[in-house]
Order: sequence, then C-alpha cells, then structure tokens
Amino acid sequence: MKLSELKPGNRAKIVRLKSSDFLKRRLMDMGLVPGEVVYVEKVAPLGDPIEIVVKNYHLSLRKNEAEIIEIEEVK
Amino acid sequence: MKRITVAVIGNPNTGKSTLINAIAGTRLQVGNWPGVTVEKKTAFLQVEDLTINLVDLPGVYSLNPYTQEEIIARDFLIKEKPDLIIDVVDATNLERNLYLLLQILELGIPVVMALNMFDEAKRKGYEIDVNALENALGIKVIPTVATRGKGVKELLFAVKEVAENKNAYIPQTLNYGKEIEEALKNLKKRLEKDYPQVLQRYPSRWLCLSLLEGDEAVLKETGLTYIKSLLEEIRRPLINTFNDDIDTILADARYGIARGINKEVVRKKEKLEPDFTERLDKIVLNRFLGIPIFLTIMWIVFKIAFDFSGPFCDWVDGVISGAIAKWTSISLDALHSPEWLKSLIIDGIIGGVGAVLVFVPLIGIFMFIITLLEGSGYLARAAFVMDRIMHSFGLHGRSFIPLVIGFGCNVPSIYATRVLETERDRKLTALLCPCISCSARLPVYVLFAGAFFAKYGATVIWSLYILGIIIAVILGTILNKTFYKGMKPVFIMELPPYRMPTFKYLMIYTWEKLKHFLIKAGTFILAFSILIWVLLNIPYGVPKDQTALARIGKVISPVFAPLGFDSWEASSALLTGIVAKEIVISTMAQIYGIQEEEEAQERTTFRNDIKNILVSFGEAVKNGFRNLFTLKSGVFEAEEENGLKNRLQNAFTPLSAYAFMVFVLLYWPCMVFAFTLRAEFGSWKILGQALLIYTIMPWLTTFIVYQGGRLLGLG
Repeated sequence: MKLSELKPGNRAKIVRLKSSDFLKRRLMDMGLVPGEVVYVEKVAPLGDPIEIVVKNYHLSLRKNEAEIIEIEEVK
Repeated sequence: MKRITVAVIGNPNTGKSTLINAIAGTRLQVGNWPGVTVEKKTAFLQVEDLTINLVDLPGVYSLNPYTQEEIIARDFLIKEKPDLIIDVVDATNLERNLYLLLQILELGIPVVMALNMFDEAKRKGYEIDVNALENALGIKVIPTVATRGKGVKELLFAVKEVAENKNAYIPQTLNYGKEIEEALKNLKKRLEKDYPQVLQRYPSRWLCLSLLEGDEAVLKETGLTYIKSLLEEIRRPLINTFNDDIDTILADARYGIARGINKEVVRKKEKLEPDFTERLDKIVLNRFLGIPIFLTIMWIVFKIAFDFSGPFCDWVDGVISGAIAKWTSISLDALHSPEWLKSLIIDGIIGGVGAVLVFVPLIGIFMFIITLLEGSGYLARAAFVMDRIMHSFGLHGRSFIPLVIGFGCNVPSIYATRVLETERDRKLTALLCPCISCSARLPVYVLFAGAFFAKYGATVIWSLYILGIIIAVILGTILNKTFYKGMKPVFIMELPPYRMPTFKYLMIYTWEKLKHFLIKAGTFILAFSILIWVLLNIPYGVPKDQTALARIGKVISPVFAPLGFDSWEASSALLTGIVAKEIVISTMAQIYGIQEEEEAQERTTFRNDIKNILVSFGEAVKNGFRNLFTLKSGVFEAEEENGLKNRLQNAFTPLSAYAFMVFVLLYWPCMVFAFTLRAEFGSWKILGQALLIYTIMPWLTTFIVYQGGRLLGLG
C-alpha cells in the first residue's frame, strides 16, 4: 500500500521508499525512514496535499510525493 | 584580542531568526548570499575580550546539498571553516532536529547547542535532561527562550568557553554501527594511501561519509570522480548486509542514533488532549472552512496593506509635492535660478525622491504583515489550502499570496515572493506578477472605458482583469517548460505550531527591508526619474511635439500600427507610462493640451506649512483606520476627466481603445517594479528576462485582440 492511499485517521509503518532521487532523500531527511510510524491527519480542502504526523511533528506533502512511500497499515 | 567566526545553523521554524535578533539586535546586518535571494545575516559581537563574527546560515533540515539553502550552508561550513557552530534546536521536536546535528558533528567543528523554545517544550509536557544530552553528544547544551531573550548571555559565554578551550570540547564521534564504521575505516585507509592531499583539505569523517553516499557535488569538487568503482567495492558489503541502498542505510543509522538519544533524554507526559495548534487547525484547515478562512485573511491583508497604508502614502506625496516642492521653488527663485534648473530640481529630482518615498508606508506595512503571517505559522497553512490550484499551473501553494497582492500593487508582490522556499519558485512567481492588473492601471481603464464603452464600462474593465489572469496562467505554463524547466520542485513542507513572533523581530525585519528598498532600488528609481524628466524637457522650451520624448514616440509609433494605435501621442504616453502606469493619462492630457487644474497656491508661512504637515499626518492616521473599517476599497478609485475623453474619442476607435487598454495592462512593468525586481534578486538578468517577456507578450496579445476584432468586423 502507498502512503497516498492511506485514509485520514489511520496509522501506518513505512516499509520502503521507492525511487532513488532527490525526492527520496528529502523525505528521509524529514524523518520518513523505513520503520517509522506515520499518521494521516487530514487531506487539504481540495483533495491534495495531505497532512501527516511523523516523529511528533506535522508535515504536509503532495499525493504524488506520498506515492513513493510504501507502507503497511498498523491497527 | 581574539577573533572567531561562529556559524549559526538550525532547522526552519526553530526560532533561529528570533534568537539571532536577541543576540545581535541592531548590530545585525541583513544582505543576500552572493548571487541568490537567500538572506544572509551577519553581526560582530564582543564577549569580554573575544570578538565574534556571527554568520547566520539558512534554515535547513540536512546538509545534503540539494536545495539552495543546503548548498549555501554546507559550502560555508566546508570552505569557510568557522571556528565554532551554534546549532539552534527546537526543544519540542528534538529527534528530528538531532538529525541535522549529527551531520554537523561529522564535520569535527566544535558545536554549542541552543536548545530553544525550552519553555514551550515544558508546557507541552516534555522533560529534557540537559546534562544527559550534553554527555550523549559531548557538546555544551544551553536551554534558551529566544522570544524573551532567555539564555542568550549563557549561550555567548558557552561559545567563549568552548572557543578558548577547544581541546576540552571535541565533539564525540558517534558510532554509526559496526558495518558502516568498518566501511569508513577502509575508505579512509585507501584515501590516506592514494589521495592524502584530498583528505587533508576536508574534515575526514565528513569526506568519507559523503563519498560513501556518492555525493556528486563532493566527487566533483575533490576530483575523485574516477574512484567510483572503489566506492562501489566498499559499499557492497554494506548493501548486502542491510539489503537496502546506501542513502537509506545512512539515513537509518543517523535517525537510529537520534531516536536513541531522544529516548534517553526526553520524558513526555502522556498526551491527554490535542494542543492549541491541533485544535485551531481543525478549523483553519477544515474541508469546508479552509478556503473561506484563507480568503477572509487575504482580504484583511489586502485591506491593511493598501487601504490602511493609502492615506499615509498620500500624505508623503502631499508633503513632497506640496510643502517641500513649494519651499524649494521659493528658495530657487530667491537665488535667481534659471527656469530649467528649477524644473529639473522640482519635477525631476524631488519628483523622483517622491516616487520612491511614496512606497515607504506601503512596503513597510506590508512587510510587517507578511512577516507576521509567516512567523505565526499561518502561511504554511495557506500554502496547504491553495496548493492544489497553484500546482496545476506549475507553482507552489505559497505563490498565491504574491499574486493576489499584485492586484493592489506589483511592488510588494516582489517582496512577498520571499515566502517561497526555492529560488525557482521565487523568480517564476515574480515574473508572473506584472500580469496581475495593479491599481495604477485602473485609472487608464476607467478613462478609456468611460469614453468608449459607457454602458458596458464595468464589463470591459473586468475583462481586462480576467485577461491578465489568463495570460499569467499561460505564461506560467510556458516559463515552466522553457526558462524554468528541469528544476523539479517538491512541496514537502513542515506545518509548524502556531506561534506569536515578537514585535521587536517584526520591527527589525521590516526596517531592514525598507532600508534595502531605499538604497538598492531607490537610487535607480531616482536616476530613472531624472532621465525621464530630461527626455520630456529637451530641447528646453520647445512645443510638446518637438521634445526628445515626442521624437522617440514618433520613431517607435509604427511598431504599434498593427495594434491599432500608431499616433505619436499614444506611443509617447506609453513611454512615460514606464514611470507608473497612471502617468499615461497625465501625459495624454498634456499632449492633447488639456490643462490640468492648477491647485491654487495659498500664501502661507513656513510655520503654517509645518503645522499643515502635522495636521495632515493626523488626518492620514484617522483615514487609515477609517478605511480599515469600511467595506469599500479605496484602491480602485479613479477620477473622471471629461475634456480628455472627447479628445480620445477622436483619436481612437472602440476597438483600438480596447487594444490600447490591453497593451497598458500587459506591457513593461513600472520602473519601481523593475528596479525592485533587480534589487530583490540582485541580478540584472531577471530584469532583462522580464523586459523581454513584457515586450513580446503584450505586443502579440494586443495584435491578436486587435486583428481578431477586425476580422470579426468590430473595427
């Protein structure tokens, strides 16, 4: 499953970041590393971007950026 | 006496700017890093016998050289080799902040940590064991509350202490795990053997890590591009063990340590309820309320920036073109100065100074609000709400604000582009701003619409505003695919907690911006005003159609023939419109020989004038506040000029009048915009681009409008 598909109010663990370029590095610099648990807080009024909570802070990213993050849902 | 250089670094939103202000105050000097729009702040400080050269580096999340900010910070640390680094850390978010700190420690430069927002962390229920943190990292940690100046003195003494006893404060080398350390050791050995001179030039641990990561910039800089296969060889066992790529392995190692230290030194009381930021965001970013709230805030910003500052701008204008011009004129008469000199000084120089100073209330008030919005954390929310729309034009959510502000005036728009995070977005947005029809163009529309489209005037004017927006969208798409292609921007943005910036910070920042505008843009604007005066007045004393300006107008007028207006009057008026678009009208009035009503000069004394200046300032304050609380916006008011209308009806057809309005909408931004653009981006190149775009595009657009209209039989 991709982070872009996770519904607000749900929690998931990062499995892997696909792609290999600048985007991946940036996401990892922001704390989105494999093993990290993220929570989807909300989606912007027009459907994109999304707001997530990671490492106790709030981060927003576009859906096409969240797409490279592979996750598994945590109940 | 000893002098040291201290670099200040930290994540964005850690209160670093506030801390710098608290440390340096008015000694702070704000400029740009060479060649880019990223702000550079420096200050000289004295701590007893130690002179500190403080250099504020841009806020970054890491030292990986991808964004402009990261490249600047990294280059400074590697090449300028500061004696010490102050790392500003957000105490409410220690773990993520430690990631950058670990990268800094790799450089081997002594570090002092400013553990900022210590009070906020306490309020949020975090208990941080400062001693344990110091021990884990081997550096000094000073808790600070920048907004109240707390811990600043202690921080400076810690800097002095560490600077004077460097050997006692060597940062610990944190262990990145057996496999990574092994790889680093192997790499270092190979470098020692084969490239000792390269190893000597850089901090060795940092160099080895960068090479291991395959950092292209470092490979190029060190000239070690040909050791790629060696690096592959060293990486292989790592990749086999972790079954992942090298970026992930290293990021994981660093975050592993950050997580460990965070767990060791931070205790957090169970979170019972959402905090203030989360509760407020439930409303501000709500699915249904998000956009209306954003639009309301934009409306308030617009109101304060233009309707509140308006009376003050008028007051400045009144004082300069009134009392100051009058008394200069009287003094010059007393000195028996020739008429032309009097005109040069009053219309050219004083007029030019006036053209600059009129913008001071507007830019000052606007910078204050935009800095407040940014510092409060709302701007990030605005970007979150608007990004979907702006993204479809290849822009960032934050671009919306500069563009909307452009409806009032394009000049503050340039300053508003500062809220954008990348140089690309800043330049792109600034280049689109002139498409947004500012209030100075409105009088031209009103005059022409009144003269030619009486009943449909309002619709015609609306169509121009809409046309501007459409052109901005098209132009944005084209620029995205030409000048600005290849630089793929990302959105990834922190939504920081809502915070109140200190008044002192807002004032210092606003003042710095104003100073920058006055010096960097003001001088050019003044020079240009004088040039225009010269063109309007040489040879001195000849009729209107013989001046240098009229001659240039005659030469260039054929260019406008396909657009429907090839009279020298029209092209001369357009030329003077470069000063400010509303001047198109007064030039036309002059050329067509419509006498402007001379304001009756009252005989007053100097004392009376001073009194009037003060009284009118009081009026300005009153009007400013009154405007704030009235619904109607004063920005879009225009005066009627009947005499001129009749003359225009003879000179234009309705179609050519509309074409002329389209051209006024789109052609060259005014001189204040042009020179502010140059000053803000520190480059003539972007001004060149702007002039090129706004020469070709308006001509083409107007050509299509006019010739299209003729084909439809409207001419």
